[in-house]
Amino acid sequence: MASSLILIPLIAVIIFNLPIMASHKRLPLLFGVVFSLWQAWLALFSAGSLWGNPVFPLPLLSGMHLQVTHLTLVMYLAIAIAAGSALVICWYTLEDGNKRFDVINLILLAIAGMNGVVSVTDLFTLYVFIEVVSIASFILIALHKDGDALEGSMKYILMSAIATLMMLSAIALFMMTTGSTAFGEIAHALRTQPDSLLRGTAVGLFLGGVFIKSGSVPFHGWLPDAYASAPAGVSVLLAGIVTKTTGIYTLIRLVTAVFGFSAHLQTLLLAIGALSIVVGALAALTQTDIKRMLAYSSISQMGYIVIGLGTGTTIGVAGAVFHLLNHAIFKTQLFANAAAVEEQTGTRNMDALGGLAEKMPVTGITSIIGFLSMAGVPPLSGFWSKLIIIIALWLSGYRWYALIAVAASVLTLAYMLSLQRRVFFGKLAAGFENLKEAELGIVLPAVILAAISIIAGIAFPFVLHRLILPIAAGW
Amino acid sequence: MIDNLSMLLKVYLTAIPLIVLIGVYCIVVTHNLIRVLIGVEILTKAVTLLLIIAGYVTNNTAFAQSLIITLIVVEAVVVATAAGVILNVFKNNNSLHVRNIKHLRG
Repeated sequence: MASSLILIPLIAVIIFNLPIMASHKRLPLLFGVVFSLWQAWLALFSAGSLWGNPVFPLPLLSGMHLQVTHLTLVMYLAIAIAAGSALVICWYTLEDGNKRFDVINLILLAIAGMNGVVSVTDLFTLYVFIEVVSIASFILIALHKDGDALEGSMKYILMSAIATLMMLSAIALFMMTTGSTAFGEIAHALRTQPDSLLRGTAVGLFLGGVFIKSGSVPFHGWLPDAYASAPAGVSVLLAGIVTKTTGIYTLIRLVTAVFGFSAHLQTLLLAIGALSIVVGALAALTQTDIKRMLAYSSISQMGYIVIGLGTGTTIGVAGAVFHLLNHAIFKTQLFANAAAVEEQTGTRNMDALGGLAEKMPVTGITSIIGFLSMAGVPPLSGFWSKLIIIIALWLSGYRWYALIAVAASVLTLAYMLSLQRRVFFGKLAAGFENLKEAELGIVLPAVILAAISIIAGIAFPFVLHRLILPIAAGW
Repeated sequence: MIDNLSMLLKVYLTAIPLIVLIGVYCIVVTHNLIRVLIGVEILTKAVTLLLIIAGYVTNNTAFAQSLIITLIVVEAVVVATAAGVILNVFKNNNSLHVRNIKHLRG
């Protein structure tokens, strides 16, 4: 069943690009939205036994050994939510019909790749799927071929190439010392055999690669450039889910299922997490470009996930995964709001904007919900995940880190309030007297995502028992 | 597993750091985007050699070969994409200097 989530979009992309399909330009969008809804439904309500059934008994994939854990289900849901919104927003923010068609196809490829990343049980297959997602992202960022877009894309390509090289060297070293690239066998070998220099190097190299891919401080240089210079709909996809899947999910999965927690690893994770939280938040405060500020806030929120993982406790990991899901929801939504603002006003410079809430009420209100959820204000869903992470830090004795996490929440509130004030509140900036609300296709995803933030916050017990606690019980 | 190193293996193990050095030198010294890409490719070759050795010392050459073929295919796609981006940088600026991708800051 898991393989169908990879194969269906892949086959669909091939079919859409056949010459006989040339007149059906809208079909890929329709397919993408239906597929995302189906995937979200499967992730939420399917029985666990479903995932073992091979719906596509193709010899091609028989050696791929997919595995669907509860963590995978949460990621399926996050991918469906973020990528589905990105599809719709891309369609409505791009004018050129051919570009629209290309973007939708590339996003479908990225969906197939991400579903692969979260289902695999083998390091090398993981690398292949990460590359599928990355290559789709490179092209999506460079879509408009202007100077900034090419620069963002090129930086991402180079950093990603270095990350890939580190991961591949690690894979080779694991193969050398354990004779396999499968998660289970490496984990077994790491637990039973004594530590060796080669194996330590391999773990270090792989973690380095993953930190680059996730854009954690001090490896974050490429991330704001890539996010900010990408077309509006593409940054929704990138910030909402791509770097979270290729970076953070990979980190969580490998640390919990393969490397296992050790004192050194936990110290490293806590340090990088805390650094990301603080540096990301401080850098966000100084930005004037709305998308750059959101990109830095992404780095900061990523820090919360890493620090939650760093506690090494079940509750910390559960909080980290929950924050990952919440981040996919609220960051997708905030970038959707940014897309609406950019689409209607033609600028991302916050100093030139102001008082837009008056003219764009829906965007203004959903943006407030997104920012409150990110800042951790109850009863929105972002509050619960931050609370779980902070409780986990406190309980496992990392009280200073808990204090940093709480203090940085105030910083989050500060930079998001500054964004709200400069873009949506106050007096209407000159030149925007005839401004209208953005098209339905851009506003609707934001409204739905804001609704999800509220519902997931109020129906927190359901989310906790259905999605989060099984993860904590399972690893 | 790794104790009985043959002569051939020793040659390989000296070659890999050398190739890595060449690749890193290539990236650090140049100001030309194409050369940076070539440097990355040289580094990839070093990693490919490492995978070959990994297959050799674990008596698993067939598995290593299948990994390397996949790796070559994936690398080709990455290089094609990167070359496409560099081509467009050249079209916009009429130069391949790395300063063309150093405008965004802060």
